[in-house]
Amino acid sequence: MDTTQLLKGVLDLAVLAVLRHEDGYGYDILRRLREAGLEEVGDASVYGTLRRLFAAGLLTTYVVPSESGPHRKYYSLNAAGRDQLTRSGKLWRSFATTMDALLDERGMAA
Amino acid sequence: MTVTEQEIAEYVGRVRAALADLSSEVRDELTEDLPEHLAEVAAEAEGSLVERLGTPEAYAAELRAAAGAPGAGGRHLDQRVARAVLRGRAQLRALDARLGPPLGYAAASEFLRLLRPAWWVLRAYLAAMLVTVVSTGGSFGLLPRFGGELLGGLLMLVGLLLASIWLGRRSERLRGWPRWALHAGTLVLVVFALAGLANAEDRAGYSDYGYDPIAVNNPYDRVRDVFVYDSEGRLVENARLFDQNGDPIRLGYPDCADERDPNGNPLLRPYPYCPEQAPFAPRAPVGPPVLPPLSSPSASSTPEPTASASPAPAASASETADPTGTPTPTGTPVPTITVSPTR
Repeated sequence: MDTTQLLKGVLDLAVLAVLRHEDGYGYDILRRLREAGLEEVGDASVYGTLRRLFAAGLLTTYVVPSESGPHRKYYSLNAAGRDQLTRSGKLWRSFATTMDALLDERGMAA
Repeated sequence: MTVTEQEIAEYVGRVRAALADLSSEVRDELTEDLPEHLAEVAAEAEGSLVERLGTPEAYAAELRAAAGAPGAGGRHLDQRVARAVLRGRAQLRALDARLGPPLGYAAASEFLRLLRPAWWVLRAYLAAMLVTVVSTGGSFGLLPRFGGELLGGLLMLVGLLLASIWLGRRSERLRGWPRWALHAGTLVLVVFALAGLANAEDRAGYSDYGYDPIAVNNPYDRVRDVFVYDSEGRLVENARLFDQNGDPIRLGYPDCADERDPNGNPLLRPYPYCPEQAPFAPRAPVGPPVLPPLSSPSASSTPEPTASASPAPAASASETADPTGTPTPTGTPVPTITVSPTR
């Protein structure tokens, strides 16, 4: 099992999380994820996830014209997105705690 | 910015092509923002899109997975193939049911199933002939031979027949590689049978112009030339022979040059082709001394028997194309004419 496999399950949550405090455009979101330590995340994964979250009604978009480069499409969390983030975040916390406990019991080093 | 719009458009085009199996709705939803997104990516750093993002196909695969692309049934080639196979089978079943009633069965396959033992027998024969071809190498007929031996071939045929029937009764239960081997063997035999049929067809075709099968017992097949003598024993030249329907009778073949018309069609030449090869004193002007006894004219014969022997009217007989006309004159005194083929 590598990080890519794990990412598939939690990329939604990660994207929602990095948009919690600040809206972002596609490449910006990718950069935030990588800076947060998810080095292996791919552009297509982030773009696809954004499309899916948008289609699910968890994100809203707006376009910001740029003078130097191309227009940027910003994504921001809406109310449904924030709800989802809260629920998924709790689920992940509980899941991660369970997994930590499981590994701790068996003496696995962090 | 090192990435051109052209490059972005090409990249997006290839991504869309890689997603071609999705419904156009889903695909549009996934890729409608892609050009803008790639323009953002391109603005952020140096290098071509392929260097930064990988091939469009890999990008499309990752995008598909991340977006949880619906239409999972069409996601992979093998699944698409499987669906196509299912569709094809359904169509075959419909055809099967439609063709059955004209044959007098519920389904055409029911009728074909009845023919399976016939195929087992044919299969054994084909296998025996295949062994014949391989082991005999040279010429062979319709019966199997083993190394040229007919008895061995027939024994082999019996053995293969029993094996084929045995196999036929168990082929339903075959699984895995034995089943594939059986199919492969069937294919080989079918190809062999088609090749053998084509070969036989070719060989049969030769007889169409090589020789006339009727001529095998034709007593005239050794006739090379025809010599006509009148009752006086004189050789009739430029004679033409006709049957009761007015069709010219062609016998023999000229093996000497035609002085009168060297370039003419040799088959249109009158008899004899080669007068100088006449068996009985050619051009004997008077008397029938050399004629065989049976051809001697009866005493009541007319004194002018040469009417039909003159070359001119004989030659015109075919040119006027009178279908009912006979080359003999209409006068009652019919001369006795002896046809004496040379052998």
